[in-house]
Amino acid sequence: MTQWDDSQAKAVSEDITEKSNALPARYFTDDDVFEMEKDKVFGQYWVYAGHANCIKESGQYFTRTIGDRQLIVVRGHDGEVKAFDNVCAHRGSKMVEDTPMTDPGDAKRIKCPYHLWTYDLDGELKSTPKSFEEAGLNPDLEDEDVQKFDAEENALNDVHVDTIGPLIFVNLSEDPMPLAEQAGVMKDRLEALPLGEYEHATRIVSEVECNWKVFASNYSECDHCQANHQDWIKGISLNESELEVNDYHWVLHYTHAEDVEDEMRIHDEHEAQFHYFWPNFTVNMYGTADGYGTYIIDPIDTNRFQLIADYYFRDSELSEEEREFVRTSRQLQEEDFELVERQWEGLRTGALAQAQLGPNEHTVHRFHQLAQEAYDS
Amino acid sequence: MSTQDQAPYVASCPECDVDLQTDAPNEIIEFHRRHYRVTGHEAEFEYAQLDLDEDVTSDGLKDVVWQLQEQYENGVPIGVVAAVMSDRGLSIGETLDEIHEVRMTGGLYEPQDDHLGAF
Ligand code: FES
Ligand SMILES: [Fe+2]
Repeated sequence: MTQWDDSQAKAVSEDITEKSNALPARYFTDDDVFEMEKDKVFGQYWVYAGHANCIKESGQYFTRTIGDRQLIVVRGHDGEVKAFDNVCAHRGSKMVEDTPMTDPGDAKRIKCPYHLWTYDLDGELKSTPKSFEEAGLNPDLEDEDVQKFDAEENALNDVHVDTIGPLIFVNLSEDPMPLAEQAGVMKDRLEALPLGEYEHATRIVSEVECNWKVFASNYSECDHCQANHQDWIKGISLNESELEVNDYHWVLHYTHAEDVEDEMRIHDEHEAQFHYFWPNFTVNMYGTADGYGTYIIDPIDTNRFQLIADYYFRDSELSEEEREFVRTSRQLQEEDFELVERQWEGLRTGALAQAQLGPNEHTVHRFHQLAQEAYDS
Repeated sequence: MSTQDQAPYVASCPECDVDLQTDAPNEIIEFHRRHYRVTGHEAEFEYAQLDLDEDVTSDGLKDVVWQLQEQYENGVPIGVVAAVMSDRGLSIGETLDEIHEVRMTGGLYEPQDDHLGAF
C-alpha cells in the first residue's frame, strides 16, 4: 500500500517480487541524510573522478570535489594516475585552484602558496624554504637543532585510485572493496570496448532543482519514456529492450526498431546501452553515434544537484552530425529535468512518506536498496 | 528547467544553455562559481531587476559599493554588486576578479561572507 504517513514507512523491501517499497521519502528530503551521504555513500564507494585522456602527460592534473573532500587527480612521472587531498601537510592550506578536467592544469611539482612547501607528483615533500631550515627568528633554537621534515611522513594524503579503461575512479575510505568487485561484469564489458581511443569533445553542466537520487531513479527506468521522450522513443522497440540488474550497477539495453549501421556505434550489439554505476555515475552508449557519453550526478545539497554530461568522439572537434547528436541528448536531459523537478516539488511537500515501485522499476529498486544498505551500514 | 514567471535575477551560461533564476542575487554568484569549477565556462547575467532605493550613479567598483552600502544592513551582497557592474559592461568573472583586487588593497572588506563594505 502506498504510505502517506511516516509512521507506516518501512525499509526498502528485500525482494521486489514480494513487496515493492521504495526508499522512504525522508531519505530524499532530510538535510541530515545529505550530511550522512557524504560519509556513508560518497565516502565508502568508488566514485568516478574523470577521464584519463584529459591528463595524458605526466604533471597534468584536475581537481574534483566529492562531498567535503577536494582532490587533486594527477598523472605522476611514472605515468600512473594518483589522487591527493588538496590540503597541505604543513598547516592545511588548500593548494591548487579548482581545475576541471576539461581545462587541466600542468605542474612539475605541487607547491603550496602559503609557505611554499613543495611536493613531488608522488605526494612526497620535496622542499621547504630556508625559513624552515634555519632558526633565524627563534632565539631558543640553534640552526643545527632545527628538526628535519621527513619527506614521507610529511607527504600529501593520498586517496585510492583505480581505473576501468580510461575512466578514473577514486575511493575516499581507508580500506575499500576493490573497484573490480564493485564494478563486477561492467568492468570487463567496458574494458572490452576501445573507450580510450575516443577523445573528450564537450561538457554540458546543468543545475537541477531536485535531490540527486530523484534524477538517478529517473535515469534507471524507461516506463516514463513513452509519455515524455516522444522523439527518442520513435527509434526504439521498448518491448524487446531489457533491464539488467547487477550488484552495484544496472544496464538498460534498448533495442533499435530498425537496424542501425555498424560503423555508427562503438559497440557491436544492435542496441543502446545505458550503464548506471552506484552511486552517481553513468556510461551512455547510444546506438546511433560513434562515441559515448558519461553523466556525473553530483549533489550540491539536499535540494539540488548538477548533471555533468561529457561526450567522447573519435576527434575532440565536434562534427556537425555530432553536434546535432549532442543537441538531441541535451533535449532528453531537458525533458528529464522537467520530470524530476516536478516530482521533487511533489516529494518535498512531505505528503508521500513512501512510494512503491512497479515491476519494470526493479532497477530503481536496486538503487534504493543500495542507498538503504549504505545508510544502515 | 521548469518555466516560471521571470525571477528578479537570471543568469545563464552561453555555452551550456543552462540558466538559474532566483530572487537571491548571491545565488547567481554561487551558480557562476560552481559552473566555472566544473566547466571553465563563465555564466552571465541575462536579467537583473535591482530593487534599489536610490539609483547608483558611480562607475567604479569601490564607489558602487560605497553608494550601495547605505541601503544594506550588513554588507552589499556581491550578487547585487555584480549586477550593477554588469550594467557597466563587466562580466561576473571580471567583477569577482576586481573585487578580489580591491580587497587586497584594503579598499573593500567583507562584513559577512560574500557581502561587501567599502572604506
Ligand atoms: S600551509 Fe602549506 S606551506 Fe604552510
Ligand atoms: Fe557552461
